[in-house]
Amino acid sequence: MDREIKSSDLVRVAPEVWEVPSSFRSDMRVAARLYADEVLLEAALTDRSIEQLINTSTLPGIVSYAIAMPDIHQGYGFPIGGVIATLLPEGVISPGGVGYDINCGVRVLASEASVDEVQPFLDELSRALYRNCPSGVGVRGEIKLNDTELDRILESGSGWALEQGYARPEDLSRTEQAGTILGGNPTLVSRRARDRGRGQIGTLGAGNHFIEVDRVSHVYGEKAGKLLGLFVGQIAVQIHCGSRGLGHQVCEEYVSRFQKTVHDYGIQLPDRELVCAPFNSPEGQEYFSAMNCAANFAFANRQVLAHRIRQSFEQVLGNKVPNRDLHQIYDVAHNMAKVEDHCIDGTSLRVCVHRKGATRAFGPGSPGLSAEFSEIGQPVLIPGSMGTESYILLGTAGSMEKTFGSTCHGAGRVMSRARAKKSVGGEQLREELRSRGIVVRAGSMSGLAEETPAAYKDVARVVDVVESAGIGRKLARLEPIAVIKG
Amino acid sequence: MPQLKEIEHTADRAFLVRGKDLNELFTQAAQALLQFEGRKPYGKGSLSREAEVEVEGFDRETLLVNWLNEILYLQEAREETYTGAEILEISDQHLKARLKGQPGDRRMRLIKAVTFHGLRIKETTKGIEATVIVDV
Repeated sequence: MDREIKSSDLVRVAPEVWEVPSSFRSDMRVAARLYADEVLLEAALTDRSIEQLINTSTLPGIVSYAIAMPDIHQGYGFPIGGVIATLLPEGVISPGGVGYDINCGVRVLASEASVDEVQPFLDELSRALYRNCPSGVGVRGEIKLNDTELDRILESGSGWALEQGYARPEDLSRTEQAGTILGGNPTLVSRRARDRGRGQIGTLGAGNHFIEVDRVSHVYGEKAGKLLGLFVGQIAVQIHCGSRGLGHQVCEEYVSRFQKTVHDYGIQLPDRELVCAPFNSPEGQEYFSAMNCAANFAFANRQVLAHRIRQSFEQVLGNKVPNRDLHQIYDVAHNMAKVEDHCIDGTSLRVCVHRKGATRAFGPGSPGLSAEFSEIGQPVLIPGSMGTESYILLGTAGSMEKTFGSTCHGAGRVMSRARAKKSVGGEQLREELRSRGIVVRAGSMSGLAEETPAAYKDVARVVDVVESAGIGRKLARLEPIAVIKG
Repeated sequence: MPQLKEIEHTADRAFLVRGKDLNELFTQAAQALLQFEGRKPYGKGSLSREAEVEVEGFDRETLLVNWLNEILYLQEAREETYTGAEILEISDQHLKARLKGQPGDRRMRLIKAVTFHGLRIKETTKGIEATVIVDV
């Protein structure tokens, strides 16, 4: 293990940017940059996340910097909150740089109804959401897929959901890459991955995944807010989940296989979880294709969950609350690798951007954005910790210039799960949240305790750093009123 | 000596396992994984299940990760919950094992996958040990 990293090892290169120069370690190919204020820097120094960030700077083909967002925390291989870009065609793609939950992401829906109208039915609504959106370990959904249907999901993601009546056309136009990543070859998704995912479409899973009913408490940008139909006091719903067992299996198969691949290509790495393959090699192309299929599975999964949430609203609020219908604000991925063109030192270059616990945040006018968002930039969804506020941001010109069109993805943990459980009991936490007007439905009280807000950084501070650094701007703040967890 | 020790990790879970040889290390690692997942209690008269598995790996570390991920895969795909693991044969690149458990997915905690992060099977004065980090 390398020596412990201290704050004196980092140079402040801008008010919210700290740099570990490439001379720090002989195997670094580029410098490492962390977006943080003093408090978040101190938090990052309490675990091995900066060492993990430095490790990613050794990947062949990396350009500019290895970048960490202010919600950085220790992961495995890559830090959570890490962004790197590798130059194509010779740069590498790393399955560990995407993670096991491929296209884990967030969707936000909003209604024209106000919290005051929905509040009397909140208990009933949370029960319906818990019932209709299966959660927990190994949970199965109602949709049983044969191989032909599964292939269609792997090829077209939200496009399949639209064909099946689980989506509206406008949902797709408000999803990153329209919820369909073209070109994935389903035959590269193994039988084992299919076995795991077959019964899991439309399920939430466990861990830090959740559905949350929120009140929009602040809208910062009038024009953009109006475009997205956001107003203070309205009801919104967040969904946080990913590609379930199918994605986990795809990742684990390639991380295992690439243990040999790195030897074949003579790639030296400081950590075996960083294994990779040249992007244009047969191995790299196969992983990229299988990963895109898993990403489509995740888009379809969140789309079916959105459909179940709409049904739940209808069941509980039908004939009681007019304007209860939920329209989509946006859907973003925060565990992905994508081929994008970025301007680096004045030249447009094609790179493979890995975002591991980081969100795409394309600024106004970026290619790839739908016409609707061309003027305001891409919406970015930042869930806070359970019981705290969340944010909707917009991508900026700054995120395009500085961070390969990327920004943070959440609050970021600071406390281990074991310590979190020692600090508070699940029942106690549920009561505390209830006393603050937040209804909680959870399958596991111990799992609930692990997600205590005290285990996370202050999301408001994270978002303030993002805004000060110019890699995102605030559009709206959401406050929770009901949480559904596995 | 204690054969299993949890190590502090910010977001995920990590455990140190020890054994006098590969067989014991791999058995302990499987037990650690199953212990971490926990399981809901069974009613009376639950049927028992057995699964024989063969796993291969590029080297000892890959074999260890593949072995533990095989357990996660089988539980999810077959909807079974394992309570015990016995290594029948083992070399640096291959193992044969028997898993025992119950029908139904009754795990309490989700482990998404077992990772290679910082993984090295190290020789010690008393045998061998490895620190395994799992994604939860």
